[in-house]
Amino acid sequence: MSDLRGEARVALAIARKDALAELRGRHATVSTLFFSAVVLLLFGFALGPDSARLAAAAPGLLWLAVVFAGMLAVSRLHLLETDDGALEQLALYPITRRAIYAGKALAGLAVMVVLGLLVLAAVGILFAVDIGGAWPPLVATVLLGAIGIAAVGTFYAGVTVRLRAREVMLPLLMLPVLAPLLLGAVKATAAALAGDPFGELGAWLQLLVAFDVIMVVAGAATYGYLLED
Amino acid sequence: MPQTTIYVSPRSLGAPERRPPSVSTTDLARLFAGSPALAGVSLRVDAARTVALLGSNGAGKTTLLRVLSTAIRPSYGTASVDGLDLGRDADLVRARVAYLSHATGLYDDLTARENLAFAAAMYRTPDPAARIDRAIADVGLVDRAGDRVGELSAGMRKRLALGRILLGQPSLVLLDEPYASLDADGMAVVDQLLTAWREAGVSVLIASHATDRLAPFLDGRVVLERGLVSAVSGQGVASQPPSLPDAAPATGMLS
Amino acid sequence: MKTRILGFVAVGGVAAMLAVALFLAPADLNQGDAQRIMYPHVASAWLGYLSFGVTALAGILWLWRRDLRFDAVAVAGAEIGVIFTAFAIWGGMMWGRPVWGVFWQWEDPRLTTTALLLALYVGYLLFRRLTDDPERRATRAAIVGIVAAVDIPIVHFSVEWWRGLHQTATIGSPDRVLNPAAPMVFVGTLLGMLGAFTLAWAYLMIRRYQLARAELAHEETVRRQRIQAARAPHPAPTSTEVAR
Repeated sequence: MSDLRGEARVALAIARKDALAELRGRHATVSTLFFSAVVLLLFGFALGPDSARLAAAAPGLLWLAVVFAGMLAVSRLHLLETDDGALEQLALYPITRRAIYAGKALAGLAVMVVLGLLVLAAVGILFAVDIGGAWPPLVATVLLGAIGIAAVGTFYAGVTVRLRAREVMLPLLMLPVLAPLLLGAVKATAAALAGDPFGELGAWLQLLVAFDVIMVVAGAATYGYLLED
Repeated sequence: MPQTTIYVSPRSLGAPERRPPSVSTTDLARLFAGSPALAGVSLRVDAARTVALLGSNGAGKTTLLRVLSTAIRPSYGTASVDGLDLGRDADLVRARVAYLSHATGLYDDLTARENLAFAAAMYRTPDPAARIDRAIADVGLVDRAGDRVGELSAGMRKRLALGRILLGQPSLVLLDEPYASLDADGMAVVDQLLTAWREAGVSVLIASHATDRLAPFLDGRVVLERGLVSAVSGQGVASQPPSLPDAAPATGMLS
Repeated sequence: MKTRILGFVAVGGVAAMLAVALFLAPADLNQGDAQRIMYPHVASAWLGYLSFGVTALAGILWLWRRDLRFDAVAVAGAEIGVIFTAFAIWGGMMWGRPVWGVFWQWEDPRLTTTALLLALYVGYLLFRRLTDDPERRATRAAIVGIVAAVDIPIVHFSVEWWRGLHQTATIGSPDRVLNPAAPMVFVGTLLGMLGAFTLAWAYLMIRRYQLARAELAHEETVRRQRIQAARAPHPAPTSTEVAR
């Protein structure tokens, strides 16, 4: 049954439900924002005070902070489903498994975009980076990075949510897979900030797009198997 | 029979005689960590029947309900609901089965009404706002509809979970200890639901110890003991002994 | 019996090829004798990747067919793959020290991709240990394996781009020998090493698979026994088959 519009509506309903629960009391977004701020501060302590060095390292620090905080955020969104067996109930509705994945990934995406943009602004301030006219490619990079982290993170959060060792398994499984996204996002950010002197920005953005597409497809195809027991 | 005004969404089910059995299992077995919770259940429940599933704790009642709801897969054997195979047509089965388990599956941070609104979106209930209002009224939660579920008592959450079932269009309802945690009013709601489902031709399979209370609503009874059917009585329900253990496993292991 | 023959042939082949690599093949003009470690290094790396492909494919087949033998293949691939991958990294570092001057070179695509592959393997194996139920474990491991396997080509290309766009001349890389202009003796030695290592890999895979299958068979026997025991003292159910 190819009922894409119906599936989309289901996915949006799930995302909306996550957003609602978020606003009501989960504080996933707020606490992860604070976490990323703390991470940036620690980077400053570890690599500073030479502002030239920090400015040079800024793209990498930006994305490290986003990835680490993002991991927390997507894992907390899945934790929502441990409310009295909610995940099992979710799996029992007459909805496709990929709609569930899409819904939760969309909620994760919303959080990641907010997180990414705010961390970008914070990095600009803390590490004396002149963003100047580089906003459009930077925002594009943040969006593409957010999609990738949300897609991969939602998948692995689902994989680890019911495990005993979930806090360590989530990063252990997720971070190696995110390596190409990290590379692409950092390189694209650096290129954008420098005004793209070698013309490589396009290539890195393409890498991000490819990563996003592949991971969304892989996640949507396999997430459903997590819900069977 | 008490007068009922509960709105059970009619799914055009047709005459019961012409419908396939609501439940049909063959040598259904399920192991957890190597130990069998179900050891070979072959059971048939006819359409439009209300049947009680009896047995002591650990007999396999909950496991059987969970398999039929598609929440877990069987280790061995086959099962079908309304003639639809659980393995092949799980998504079709999900559209026709509603399951009330020990856990309510409700979101603590959302209000009662919001939880139902979410369920309505998942069931694609037509005319959701009106149906939600009706469901809330039918289970008697009108004055608590705007409260967060985390603040509700266990009994009220159970009622809300029952209300959620009203938003779908099940032809088979699986209830696991429906009377647990409920006060007298809550239990009356369950009674009304059972009556409404019977009138609508919906089959109900209830795991419960409250045999006396259920008696007026039942067509038949099945007793489970240590993962097997030990007794069957009444109308519309039948069972077979498990066949020899060389029945093909649901998940193949060795050739 | 056939497996044992395979084992002997594999050991013999590996020993022979190692001798060839160490003594018979000529030293590289630029890299000297250090280049010799490249033969087992490349062969191991190739088998490390192959193993992961096998694991991922076995996972897909499990999801499709639900035959636990496929999961046995998957775990065999992962465990054997870890060994070859770890060895490949070690070999790469041993090669790198005399040639690059450092143990690690970030822009060498094979080294970094292989390191990431090792991380994915280790994660996969640790993840498997957290689930006891065989079917659940097989399903969860299968999807983790698939997503990880899908990631590997992306990693490879991204690191290639990383190196390519920066135009830093690495003194040499193990890949030089794969250049079509390389003299036949190099290519021949490499292919021979690859063949010998593949035989060893096949032998280890078969043994590991047999071990996993034996475990599965044992578990299955226990499960059936338990089901039998549950049924044994039970009389036939009193069935009232009532016609409508």
